[in-house]
Amino acid sequence: MSRPWRATFPRLEFIAGAGHVATDDAELAAHEVCGMRPAAVVRPAYAGEVADVVRFAVSQKLAVIPMAGATKVSIGLPPSRYDIAINLSRMNRVLSYDPHDLTLGVEPGVRIEDLTRALAEKKQFLPLVVPFSDRATIGGIAAANASSPLRHSYGGVCDFCLGMEFVTGEGVQAKSGGRVVKNVTGYDLHKLLTGSLGTLGIITRLNFRTFPMPQAQGTFVASFPSPEPAFEFCSAIAHSVLSPQMVEVADPGACRLIFSAKSSMRILPMHWSVILSAAGQPAVVERYARELGHMATAANAAEFLQMNDGEQFSAFRRIREFPRLLLGAAPDAAIFRIGVLPAGMPSLLDALSEIAKRFKVELTSLTRASGIIYAAFFAQSGNGVPSNATMTAVREAFHVCALPKTCARAMLEWCPAEMKRMGVDPWGPWRDDFALMRRVKNAFDPQNVLAPGRFAGGI
Amino acid sequence: MQPDLIRELEVLLGPNAVLSSPEDLMLYEYDGSVEMGSPRCVVFPTSTRDVAGIMRLANRFETPIVGRGAGTGLSGGAIARNGGIVVAFSRMNRILEIDAANLRAVVQPGVVNLDLSRAVEHLGLYFAPDPSSQKSCTIGGNVSENSGGPHTLAYGVTVNHVTGLEMVLPDGEIARIGSKSIETPGYDLCGLFVGSEGTLALVTEITVRLMRKPEAVKTLLAVYDTLDDTTESVVDITARGITPAACEMLDGFTLRAVEDYVHAGFPKDCAAVLLIEIEGLAEAVEAQAAEITEVCQLHRAREVRVARNDQERGLLWRGRKEAFGAMGRISPMYYVQDGVIPRTRLPETLRRIEEISRKYNLQIGNIFHAGDGNLHPLILFDERDRDEFARVVAAGGEIMRHCIEVGGALTGEHGIGMEKNELMPLIFTPDDLALMERVRAAFNPAGRLNPGKVLPMGKACGEIRVPPVPATSAIPT
Repeated sequence: MSRPWRATFPRLEFIAGAGHVATDDAELAAHEVCGMRPAAVVRPAYAGEVADVVRFAVSQKLAVIPMAGATKVSIGLPPSRYDIAINLSRMNRVLSYDPHDLTLGVEPGVRIEDLTRALAEKKQFLPLVVPFSDRATIGGIAAANASSPLRHSYGGVCDFCLGMEFVTGEGVQAKSGGRVVKNVTGYDLHKLLTGSLGTLGIITRLNFRTFPMPQAQGTFVASFPSPEPAFEFCSAIAHSVLSPQMVEVADPGACRLIFSAKSSMRILPMHWSVILSAAGQPAVVERYARELGHMATAANAAEFLQMNDGEQFSAFRRIREFPRLLLGAAPDAAIFRIGVLPAGMPSLLDALSEIAKRFKVELTSLTRASGIIYAAFFAQSGNGVPSNATMTAVREAFHVCALPKTCARAMLEWCPAEMKRMGVDPWGPWRDDFALMRRVKNAFDPQNVLAPGRFAGGI
Repeated sequence: MQPDLIRELEVLLGPNAVLSSPEDLMLYEYDGSVEMGSPRCVVFPTSTRDVAGIMRLANRFETPIVGRGAGTGLSGGAIARNGGIVVAFSRMNRILEIDAANLRAVVQPGVVNLDLSRAVEHLGLYFAPDPSSQKSCTIGGNVSENSGGPHTLAYGVTVNHVTGLEMVLPDGEIARIGSKSIETPGYDLCGLFVGSEGTLALVTEITVRLMRKPEAVKTLLAVYDTLDDTTESVVDITARGITPAACEMLDGFTLRAVEDYVHAGFPKDCAAVLLIEIEGLAEAVEAQAAEITEVCQLHRAREVRVARNDQERGLLWRGRKEAFGAMGRISPMYYVQDGVIPRTRLPETLRRIEEISRKYNLQIGNIFHAGDGNLHPLILFDERDRDEFARVVAAGGEIMRHCIEVGGALTGEHGIGMEKNELMPLIFTPDDLALMERVRAAFNPAGRLNPGKVLPMGKACGEIRVPPVPATSAIPT
């Protein structure tokens, strides 16, 4: 409480109301970002209050970081400055929901679990199956562009987010897009905010198109002794007329997490497994069962199984929570999220596996067949502190991904804060387009008030 | 100074890549709208380096510069509003790579939309965005305008199918954003540049997603005796969570004009039809066709007809896609709008358009993407009748205001361009627009790239400026 601006706390209380500004240790600790604590936590209830807080921060030359569930604050670089945490969990209202138009407008602090439940009442859903789902909020999911296994068929946040309202780094309330499902009116600034980690604006409203729940769903698992036939199976599906909802390839380590004894599966696939789901009319799901079975046999699968309801529920939940399960088992894990071309997935996994062997670290991967690899390096006997071997493996993996022939785009989504402090840039080697990103940042946040230093290239 | 510019452009590109005589330039004064503007010259680059060189010259001569694909746009996006250089991409029309294994293609901006689908047809693939002008419009133009088309109902607009771009920024720098991969860490710059209507950069190479052709396609024609039954059917199909690949509506007036022109077999005595296409696995298509037929019958469709073969299907779509051309047979001019509304507001909106039509004594046809609420009211008129023209302007304004009042948007796929840029304040606050202006200035600080587009030019505006569209040249989506 030494810095002079603390005297202005009453101003924050004036904005958000008494009882909505906290400075006690427990609250500050709960809002830590990469080991840095804010000096205050403020909980605004309306967009106007968010704007007031940001304007106050600008006037005092303070830095703010927005969050709600705080499940993804470890993504990105440590902030270069951090004074106020803007906790948006009070902004948790559904502002408009027109189930007949399949459109939805929500505040950022709505928990995805609550939203999923509300939509389910109307037999609809958002295809956002994301980790830490008991705490994750819709604003955070969009701001981190969280990856969902359903991306395979529904696309990412940017594909079904129709518009946003937000507060810029100057405390100005602005918006882009709209509420209708088709719209090219003006620049799509909300696409920039998606995945911006709060560095461009603080999202105060998000509009989505919703999706009807399928009449029937089937989830399948095919097990293979090695990665090659597993990816051949995926490739055969990708070039068939089938279009599953989800296709995930789990390596043996990921299988152990997803099909643990607790998951009550009739079989426990322990090799390379392809987990798929299909949705639609019952006749459609039956056809998937038939054809996927044939294709699995043709690809020499050791096993092929259609899950029962309990198994399906468990597998979905554990795939969704994969990073959380992994971090539970290996707290020092460094988890990459790598955008890669489908045809390049086997060779990249092979290269990552070579790196793991060379530096004697463990590697576990879960691959979205549409082109996203989640790959984790961790020490064989981890004690929560990143080992030199893990860090070297991480650097090497970044190097391999950046090779032109690999054509992969990697970032470290989760890693110990210590690793970042020791010089590992979770965004990987700087790319040419970082200069363009800086221009965007300057347009939204010229004073560098919003989550400074957290983004790619130190933005 | 200007003759020097032409000379330097000729040195850079060769003399047969620069047009500057008045008779040549006349062809580049317009696009699919009736907006007009004369460029000082038109240049035809063949490489990214050429484009960068042109951009640097434009800077040195402080001349506006405007990109142009096939000139089929409907909002004046490709028109040299303030003169200057038009960069026509027709010679950058190569498909650089087809990567079937990864469902990607890399193309130059001048590649015609349908040519890409044709080039990958033998692989069972296609490029999904399908504007009605797809036989002639270019993918570079689609990227600039974020074009749609009937099948965007199921597959999304252009931005959903672009993963990477190479472009020349207004300072002459060549930049690459995105990649072939499904996602690239960092800000989604592709999401910003696609649909920026040529105001942030000139795109020189595009990486697009390709899609697999569906196993089965079924095209239904539902025929109605009242407009209300037609629109209620669309509301009900949407509300039941059925997503056809396309759901288009043509009203009776439009239909009669189309039938006389195309002879597709549309009934000429009905109030409206829905043209609905369902795609996917055979089982899914059968089930959805049955569900949709049931909904249409529930809403008193007089008949639900299924196209029996590809030829019938092709004819129905020809009727839809050439409908605007058919209007040229019955009216000297028309003005087409592109407003979007929530699907649930379709019945009242169509009734409102009817009222407006009566109020102003104007003939208004409706042919549009009903499934995603994207209206295309066509107001017919004769430009020589000044009184009628004034009524067209007023009626257009009322329709647009209604769209906004019910929570809609100014444009679903045609773009803002120079047609609707002064209407932007109807949707966006001065703060919203100031931020967009800042984003534009971040890349295009001197405003030299495609000036006078997208954002209002200055004076506060509540007034509607509605330019007419010549019936003969419009190729809407």
